[in-house]
Amino acid sequence: MNENPADLAPELCALAAAVAGLVAGMFLPRTRQWPVAVVCSAGLVAGLAFAGVAASGPDLMAFDAFSVDPITHVTRITVLGSTLAVVLLAAGPVRDHPRESEHHVLILLSALGTIMLGASSDLLVLVAAYLLASIPAYALAGFGKDAPGTEAALKYYLMGALLGVLMLGGVTLLSGVGRGTAYAVLRTGLADAPPAAVAAGVVALLAGLLFKAGAVPGHYWVPDVAEGAPPAVAAYVTTVPKIGAFAALYRFCAETSPDGRHALLAVIAAATMTLGNLAAFGQDNVRRLLAYSTVSQAGYLLVPVAMAGRTGLAQPALLYFVAAYAVTNLGAFAVVVAAGRDDLAGYAGLLRASPSLGLSLIVCLLGFVGTPPTAVFVGKVLMFGAALDGDSAWLAVVAAVNTVASVFYYLRWVVPLFRRPSAPPRPAPGATAVTTVVATAVAAAAALLSLVLGIAGGAALA
Amino acid sequence: MTFLPGWPGGLAVDGLSAVLLVTLGAVLAAVLVFAAGEGYGARFFGLTLLFAAAMAVTVTATDLVLLLMGWEVMGAMSYALIGHDWWDARRVGSAGVAFLTTRAADMGLYAAAGFAVAGAHSLRLDDLAAAGAPWRDLIAAGVVVSALGKSAQLPFSFWLSRAMDGPSPVSALLHSATMVAAGAYLLLRVHPLLAATGWAATLVTWAGAVTALVLGAVALAQRDLKQLLAASTCAQIGFMVLGAGAGALGGGTAQLVAHAAVKSLLFLCAGVWLGELGTKRLDALQGAARRHRTVGAAFGVGALALAGVPPLSLWVTKDEVLAGAVGSPALLAVGLAASVLSAAYAAKALLAAFRPGGGGGAFRVPLAQRAPLVPLACAAAALGALGLPPVADAWRRLLGVPDESGPGPWMVALSGVLAVVTVGAVMAVRRIPEPAWALRWLWSEDVASAMVVRPAFAMARALARFDDRVVDGAVRGVARGGQAIAGLAGRRVEFRLDGLVAAVGRAARGLGALARRPQTGQVHLYYAQAAVVLAVLVVVAVLAG
Repeated sequence: MNENPADLAPELCALAAAVAGLVAGMFLPRTRQWPVAVVCSAGLVAGLAFAGVAASGPDLMAFDAFSVDPITHVTRITVLGSTLAVVLLAAGPVRDHPRESEHHVLILLSALGTIMLGASSDLLVLVAAYLLASIPAYALAGFGKDAPGTEAALKYYLMGALLGVLMLGGVTLLSGVGRGTAYAVLRTGLADAPPAAVAAGVVALLAGLLFKAGAVPGHYWVPDVAEGAPPAVAAYVTTVPKIGAFAALYRFCAETSPDGRHALLAVIAAATMTLGNLAAFGQDNVRRLLAYSTVSQAGYLLVPVAMAGRTGLAQPALLYFVAAYAVTNLGAFAVVVAAGRDDLAGYAGLLRASPSLGLSLIVCLLGFVGTPPTAVFVGKVLMFGAALDGDSAWLAVVAAVNTVASVFYYLRWVVPLFRRPSAPPRPAPGATAVTTVVATAVAAAAALLSLVLGIAGGAALA
Repeated sequence: MTFLPGWPGGLAVDGLSAVLLVTLGAVLAAVLVFAAGEGYGARFFGLTLLFAAAMAVTVTATDLVLLLMGWEVMGAMSYALIGHDWWDARRVGSAGVAFLTTRAADMGLYAAAGFAVAGAHSLRLDDLAAAGAPWRDLIAAGVVVSALGKSAQLPFSFWLSRAMDGPSPVSALLHSATMVAAGAYLLLRVHPLLAATGWAATLVTWAGAVTALVLGAVALAQRDLKQLLAASTCAQIGFMVLGAGAGALGGGTAQLVAHAAVKSLLFLCAGVWLGELGTKRLDALQGAARRHRTVGAAFGVGALALAGVPPLSLWVTKDEVLAGAVGSPALLAVGLAASVLSAAYAAKALLAAFRPGGGGGAFRVPLAQRAPLVPLACAAAALGALGLPPVADAWRRLLGVPDESGPGPWMVALSGVLAVVTVGAVMAVRRIPEPAWALRWLWSEDVASAMVVRPAFAMARALARFDDRVVDGAVRGVARGGQAIAGLAGRRVEFRLDGLVAAVGRAARGLGALARRPQTGQVHLYYAQAAVVLAVLVVVAVLAG
């Protein structure tokens, strides 16, 4: 059995940074806790470096429960990079907050849980990772201690509690009928188990993962949290946990069953993308609009998961799409943080007022649609390819129709950018100069990265 | 200077060109001085200079392209100058007739240029005679047609009659050293080509001879001084054309130069009288020559020279031309008859101008109008020297035809006697036969109008109708059809498509509202919905196996 802790170096970096941040927070004055953000960022950067090194190494299994393979590599790099961006986004708003160090540490711990979620190949570790990823996020959602934040945190927690309990039940059921908790064991054990029990157990297990992924039926929290939580936290909970959740979903489906859970996940994918797109139509609050957009993107992301085991395109499609999604979603939320406004009308004339911010938003929104040469375009191409290759043309058609429909609400946000502002721009409430500058930089970087990934990926595809 | 890369040619001055350039310059100077006396504006002088420059290009061009350029600009300027008084519709119409007639004949030169490219692979004038068998004849035909048109030979003569509507200085220039002279020049220039084909030289010879004879008769019939002079121009140019065809190049050129002096002189005199007396009708000009000594004397010298009275210029140059026709008795007879006619019409003009009576005192003529008359009269009188044997030999060497023979003494004597007798007879009887058939220039304009102009207009109208009804009709029909189809599409298809799109939009809106219904904001409802969905998913999972 491989028990080399060095195989978990990126995770250990994040953990060490979290612990160091916690300790430092205890000794630093309440109003001068910015070194915690530096410590956390440094830990994330170090983790990224180790993850990059590990990505060139061979596939292996650590502690019998932690897979180090391409899925884990992409999960690590995407989660650590996204978390770094969120820490930067949050650094301004929580500056001089009495609980600044806790904020950063909670983010790091949740990210750590997310990586574990995507890397674990054992049901028990999966449950532990689920709890580690979720519980700090509940606290973060209510961090503002205001009424919407508290309501969001409570709804988030209650949905997570129910679906987490169901997940625990599913794990119990599966380990009972499958005579084990490791995926390799379950692969043989579930084949002989009673199908109804397996079906119930799988659905119960998926309930928790779908909650983390923000897909039907675990999506109810997404709009409320995205609207109610602080913007940086909203960016975090709609981006990072999803990465781990999709990795976990894909790993579970691919490793415990010879042909995946095709029908079940295809139905969930179709329902999720359709519901997210339809519900986004009438939104005038950009954070709710982005929330439903993330629900619909979760639907697209479930397509390659549904194709697990049916086509070789499924894994590259999922990994590319999830990274592209993270970059694009962070870019869009960074614009919201920088603009400091939630109403759609407040974005009129943004392109004139702040060209870099407006252009970044346009790139991100067109990226969500899947316009070349953005990263999501490549991800969507791979996703359609996987659907067609996996003999699910109907799913590709549903995804295509949904993509066309999504143009409507993304353009509803793009069009006002070109208008003249109806009133002279008011200073955004609660946005300091530093926050705006940092968030603009993050948005521009995300937009650029989206273009780079799109062009490079397009070139690689071609 | 080459104008087209790869096609040698350009401008060059040789003996013939030099003679014509000097003639052109002298006549142009005289005409400009005269016109300055009449007080024309800048437009007149500009157009005149352009006209003369085009003539200069024409006579110095060594290839067909430059020749055509000068030729065309000259034609256009003749139109502008004849129609100088543009407010008079009749004059503008005359300008149009002159332009279109010469222009129609010019097509021959274009065709000749094309044939030269095809057949001789050269546009140089001196290469044309070396063209291949069918091409050489075609080139010759094209050149002959355009030259006859430009020099107002039969059957194109009528345009010169209409050209008389232009100002007198224009007539003086157009009838002497430019325009009509250009046709004669071209024929003289391409004589090797005409001779090489055989038939073309004969054709040109007879065209010139017949024109000299018939237009002589026409001149005799005229009752208007300018019309008389115009017809006489045709007839005199006919001698040059005859010379060009018969190979009397020295004689033809001498005739051209002498005629330029004589005719410009006569037209300027006519211009003086027209300006002072307001008429150009012969019967109204009775005694006009006696009312101003200088003008009268100049006119007398010019008219006597025109008549071919010895020792004045045209007497001897005409004989030089006829020296080329001695080989053919018929041609010689026609030529001599034409000489007699020229003596007769010149005498008619003389008689009209010098006949006593008519009343009216002397009138004053501005110096600018008087001055050019004297040198022109001297030239008209003295250019006969070109016929003196030593001068004639030098002249022929200058023109590059040293082998041509001059007229025999008997012929010179015969023509001189004929001219003197004719003039004397006319003066004695004071009655001249006026062939009525020749008064309207043989109705050649009417014939051309009936045979060419009206059919062309009829065809144009027919084609216009075809264009309106068939071509345009088809286009309109297509447009109407398109409109009808568009209307159909708009009413039937578009309506439904629009409805469909609106329905899709309504449905999407409705579904969007429906999709937000589960988002009640109440957690117990979320729980219930999640539980139901999960139960459904279990069913799906079980059914899917």
